[in-house]
Amino acid sequence: MPIEPCAEAPSVNADERVELFRLVLLQRLFEDRVMALYRQGRVPGSVYTGRGQEAVAAGAGLALCPDDVVAPLNRELACHFARGATTADVFRNFFGKATSPTFGRDGNMHFGAPAQGVFPLVSMLGDLVPLVAGAALAFKRRGERRVAMTFLGEGAFSVGDTHEGLNLAAVWQVPAVFVIQSNRYSYSTPVARQMVNTNIAQRIYGGWSIPAERVDGTDALAVLDTVRAAVERARNGNGPQAVEALSVRMHGHAAHDDARYMPDGMREEFAERFDPVERLAARLALDGFDSHAIQGMRDAALAEVDAGLAEAEQAPAPDPATLENGVYAAPPS
Amino acid sequence: MSAEIGPTGSITYLEAISAALQDAMRDDDRVFLLGEDIGAFGGAFGVTTGLLDEFGEARVMDTPIAEEGFVGAAIGAAWMGERPVVELQFADFITCAFDPIVTVAAKTHWRSGQSIPITIRCPTGGGVRGGPFHSGSPEGWFVGTAGLKIVCPGTVEDAYGLLRAAIDDPDPVLYFEHKRLYRTLRADAPPTGHRTPIGPAAIARAGDDATVVTYGSGVSTALAAAALVDGDVEIVDLRTIWPLDEQTILTSIEKTSRVLVLQEASRSTGAAGVILSLIARRSFEHLDAPPALHAPPDTPVPFAPELEDGYMPSVESTAAALDQLLAY
Repeated sequence: MPIEPCAEAPSVNADERVELFRLVLLQRLFEDRVMALYRQGRVPGSVYTGRGQEAVAAGAGLALCPDDVVAPLNRELACHFARGATTADVFRNFFGKATSPTFGRDGNMHFGAPAQGVFPLVSMLGDLVPLVAGAALAFKRRGERRVAMTFLGEGAFSVGDTHEGLNLAAVWQVPAVFVIQSNRYSYSTPVARQMVNTNIAQRIYGGWSIPAERVDGTDALAVLDTVRAAVERARNGNGPQAVEALSVRMHGHAAHDDARYMPDGMREEFAERFDPVERLAARLALDGFDSHAIQGMRDAALAEVDAGLAEAEQAPAPDPATLENGVYAAPPS
Repeated sequence: MSAEIGPTGSITYLEAISAALQDAMRDDDRVFLLGEDIGAFGGAFGVTTGLLDEFGEARVMDTPIAEEGFVGAAIGAAWMGERPVVELQFADFITCAFDPIVTVAAKTHWRSGQSIPITIRCPTGGGVRGGPFHSGSPEGWFVGTAGLKIVCPGTVEDAYGLLRAAIDDPDPVLYFEHKRLYRTLRADAPPTGHRTPIGPAAIARAGDDATVVTYGSGVSTALAAAALVDGDVEIVDLRTIWPLDEQTILTSIEKTSRVLVLQEASRSTGAAGVILSLIARRSFEHLDAPPALHAPPDTPVPFAPELEDGYMPSVESTAAALDQLLAY
């Protein structure tokens, strides 16, 4: 089957389409590179990718305004780029450098950027749901027209904290937006073994009266269009909103996972028609960008990855003597 | 509430906590309260009585029964620069909120530079016939957790001053307020705005013959027991049990050469482990007797009055432990 171009979405203008393409390319090319470095033994720990889910990260990330805040998970690298992270920042985090966003204290996708309103990822799934409900509560208390967003996979939907957080957001009617990455697997466990009703949007609306839409998570234009509408509804005082983005995780849970539990050919067949990067490239072609222009965008993104890597490799390693600094914002006297 | 504080010049431990909340809310619009039944009802123990009337629903928020959720949400508000003060209905229920406290609040500053100024009030301790789920002293689960600060007021003055300091503090603070002290401990009202600094221990009683290291309900117990024994006992009131004020403990032991650690938490939990570890490592050369521990057995807190009275360190049992230490 040929690649399916992103559907036409009049609300997404030409500049935004180009920016979306830059973001999905950066995530794809960065993750390809960091995975190769990992295979070469040059990245400690592990590598998590969002292959197949780049459009969700890019579209939702671009839907936010600069004063909004977000708590991404580990498959939303493009959201970090949308918030202003550089490829060098992220490589430094994978390498554990002293000047990484976490000062070498945390690795891979576990980082944030407080100055850019990005909360550092916490591995315990569900924790970020009440967290953004509380951030949104702060906005509501102060009468600020800001929005707090988080991502969660359908895997996190089995965690109690997720349900408590959604309930609080609904009871408080705060400007929080929840983007659910329904990618069909939590690690190796297929969604059918996680829940009976797999329509999470329906459950969120039915359970908490939080407006919830489903969107094709491989179509970056559709994601931006749908999430932006949700963000603006939240900003305009209509309470919490949810978007369930449907996609397929095109890689194992992490670098070590060969995804042998997924049916043969599933990822390949999915990629052939729904690879989110190529869907957007096909849309840009329909929009009139010629192959030369599109290749130029690919080359530019690759150059951004190359430059970030070169910069990050020069960064100093952290000094063990500094380890106890910063345990407290105000060390006890 | 204010009416009770004024005329006699004497307030209870509970009233000191209420006054600290009220004063903090008057001083700083960022301060707001979340918890179960803290609004119209005034909280299970009445600590927030009257605050809804003065500050309104936006600042005194009744929550659903969802400790993990509303502690997590308070952390999110703190991330945005608010100063949330959470009331757990009983300290025991902190088990439900363990994850956001230890995973999110404690580690965030160290790994990102983002401070989380949250205060979590935990009505703690036994002696109120609450049984295994309403009498616990769970502070030990958090002692040693980098990034958290843990305070346990043992006096009226510190009940006020530590809470004001906790709310000011840019780090997450667990504030363990003892239920048995709520209405049994009275003292003159501390001056409005008083702060007890987080960190330093206090010498609750000076003495030369033995040191008691204690906190929370142990302070008043130790003071009463010290009056019964034949010896001049020094009492170190830790006030902050994590991080530990090591120097005050070591200096006192250097002077007295004998030490008893007293706590209401069962013997293998609480703060005793880190205190005794410190003493073993740093006070060895100064000791005339093995360091002693007076604490309940390693069981949950029992319900029946006969069982609970036997379980809790009393003034008499503490005096007996001190006698033994002094006679060694």
